[in-house]
Amino acid sequence: MVATKKGAILAAEEGKEEAILNFLKQALKQGCFDAVLIPARVPTGDSFAYFLVQNEAFLEGASPLPPIMPVQGARVISNLTKHGKGKNRIAAIIRPCEARATIELAKLGQADLEKMLLITVDCPGVIPLSDYFGDPVKGDEVFKDASQNWDSNPMRPVCRICDKSSAIGSEDLHAGTLGTNSGGILLIPNGSKGEDILNKLGIPVETDISDWEAKVNKLTEKRKRERKQTNDALRSDIEGIDRLIEAFSACINCHNCMRVCPICYCRQCNFDSDKMKFTFEDYFTRAEARGRLMVPTDTLLFHVGRMLHMSLSCVSCGMCEDACPMAIPVGQIFTVVGDRNQEAFDYVPGKNIDEPLPLTTFEKEEFLDVEQSYAGVSSQQEDQNA
Amino acid sequence: MPKVLKISKGPDEGLKQLLRFLLENGKVEGVLTLRKMGEYGTISYSLITNPDDIDSTVPLFPLMPVNLAKQLSRLTLMEAATEPIAVVLRPCELRAFVELVKRTQGSLENILLISSTCGGVYPLEMAIAGNIEEQLPQYWKAVEQGEVIPNIRPACKACVYFVPYNSDITISLLGNKSIDKQSVLLLNTDKGVSSVEGISGQFGEDGLDSAAIEQIRNKREVEKQKLSDELETKALGIGNLTKTFSRCIDCHNCSKVCPICYCHVCFFDTKTSEHGPIYYETELEKTGYVNMLSDTIFYHLVRLFHVSTSCVGCGLCADVCPANIPLWAISLKMGDAVQKAFDYLPGKDIEEGLPFTTFAPEEFAGIE
Repeated sequence: MVATKKGAILAAEEGKEEAILNFLKQALKQGCFDAVLIPARVPTGDSFAYFLVQNEAFLEGASPLPPIMPVQGARVISNLTKHGKGKNRIAAIIRPCEARATIELAKLGQADLEKMLLITVDCPGVIPLSDYFGDPVKGDEVFKDASQNWDSNPMRPVCRICDKSSAIGSEDLHAGTLGTNSGGILLIPNGSKGEDILNKLGIPVETDISDWEAKVNKLTEKRKRERKQTNDALRSDIEGIDRLIEAFSACINCHNCMRVCPICYCRQCNFDSDKMKFTFEDYFTRAEARGRLMVPTDTLLFHVGRMLHMSLSCVSCGMCEDACPMAIPVGQIFTVVGDRNQEAFDYVPGKNIDEPLPLTTFEKEEFLDVEQSYAGVSSQQEDQNA
Repeated sequence: MPKVLKISKGPDEGLKQLLRFLLENGKVEGVLTLRKMGEYGTISYSLITNPDDIDSTVPLFPLMPVNLAKQLSRLTLMEAATEPIAVVLRPCELRAFVELVKRTQGSLENILLISSTCGGVYPLEMAIAGNIEEQLPQYWKAVEQGEVIPNIRPACKACVYFVPYNSDITISLLGNKSIDKQSVLLLNTDKGVSSVEGISGQFGEDGLDSAAIEQIRNKREVEKQKLSDELETKALGIGNLTKTFSRCIDCHNCSKVCPICYCHVCFFDTKTSEHGPIYYETELEKTGYVNMLSDTIFYHLVRLFHVSTSCVGCGLCADVCPANIPLWAISLKMGDAVQKAFDYLPGKDIEEGLPFTTFAPEEFAGIE
């Protein structure tokens, strides 16, 4: 983050959520955008959904930062824009990992962000769906307390080790709320889209943000260490084919992890296609080869295939894990793999919309060490032959 | 009076002896049943060809990780079984498979169907928590007494079709007072009879104790009524349905695991069900807001419409729902009503046409 960056202060006497809502109402009224995409409680009160809202009145009771993530926001933005951006300029209030997945989907041609304005908020994490739906009233309280104290214990396991829970570098506006309990919240523009809105509303952008930045950096550093520890611990449980089989042994092949994943955008997954349907003889031959065949078949192949397809863009949101009926730690496993793959390509998904996807770029000098090991083997053989 | 084979072992061991016998004597070349695997003891279905692997099977373990009908369909969709196999499955799985065969999604050919009178299964979340094992003594005690078993899937508590249809061999479990000493295997078909020729055991003629079965059915009916009454006030009627489904996260996992939902691509996952900008703009103009999850109720109603004639009430839909929606109850209620209207019991008779594929000129004259 550039040190000279400045932010605007929004008064937050009535709470941080209210401060954001007031800003949105004002901006909507002034025509800064035509509609707002924002989570709000469903009529029954026991869950949340994204609503597209045109009228300020409908912003009453919306929740910029709901306690749960029933649907990944990137999926919603993709649904909204993949068949064309339409005439409306829409401001989306989303969590940092939702914004990052949105950027990835845009790169994959599954979202059109030209008329979208991405507003992210410092994220304390979300409560796992199963915990919340068991007792929503209690869930609301737990989240309220935990988010005030920035306590990540009740949150999704991947939220507890999230090291990208603040501004991501590709949002248009970011609401800094970490450690700003007394003095209102910070609204930090990133690029001209965000700046224009603050200018239009006459909100001065002249507050020094270094205090907030220091707090964010401190949290990020702490989380980075925890992430590494957690990943290392889990890696020893899943590394090698036998351990991986064990880790996914409870899989019932429902593919719900794929279904709720913001990155898995294929309308029909390869693993649901005819390509993965075989003759009885085929299955039987496989059973005979080892004396038995687990049914449903090909569950691990699915997970490894999915990993290969999406791990470079995985934002570790944890939707997959929340949606798994067998409580397999899919999100944590994919975080281990995703982190390593992303590091290998020096790629941070969702950070920069102009940076191309690793698999779409070719660099001659890339992964020389991988090539050299082969070269080494063959030259060794040549030596021996000589 | 049907033929019966009695093996002097508890049902799990007796059944394993039968499965081993079938494999070792070439009566079948494969056995599809539940097996305990790995150090965590995951319970999963396996197609077993090596008789030694029968030792690790748990054919009657009260868990349904997947509805086996769906898996049998997968195995026999492209061609019927080319080798004879024996399959151990629950009455609702068998009924669902018959429904799939009627829809040409599988074949019964070359399959020896082994089922049991069914006490029900525990929810998947109990398998995850790892506390099914400790419930087992209580489970088998209740099976022996013919009681409704505590903590099983609500769908199972309300299930009155616990006696299998179309099985070649039925293991008598519910209300079987000598359950820990003796496996009672009813040989319902010629195929069932010939498959056990040569096995050591006591042959005779016997049937299910119809009075005991009636008693159990009555208990389940009471349970069903109780659950149905709760539902009457809570979940039905369009207003209540909207509420019930408002937690839906649109993952469609209920359809994905449903043995009857066999469509390769669900209509609601096709491009036809996606919206363009004009839709959102129009909706926004009309009301000022759009719920981005608004089509979920439509999805559920259409799914109910599509599956209700064949819903066997297995309850897997509710077990996998990340939003804890009591889908089993809605399916059961709707399935019951529709099936009664058509006088159709899914999975009972393989020869009986599906209600929507048969036309009776005199049908529903009252409505017309």
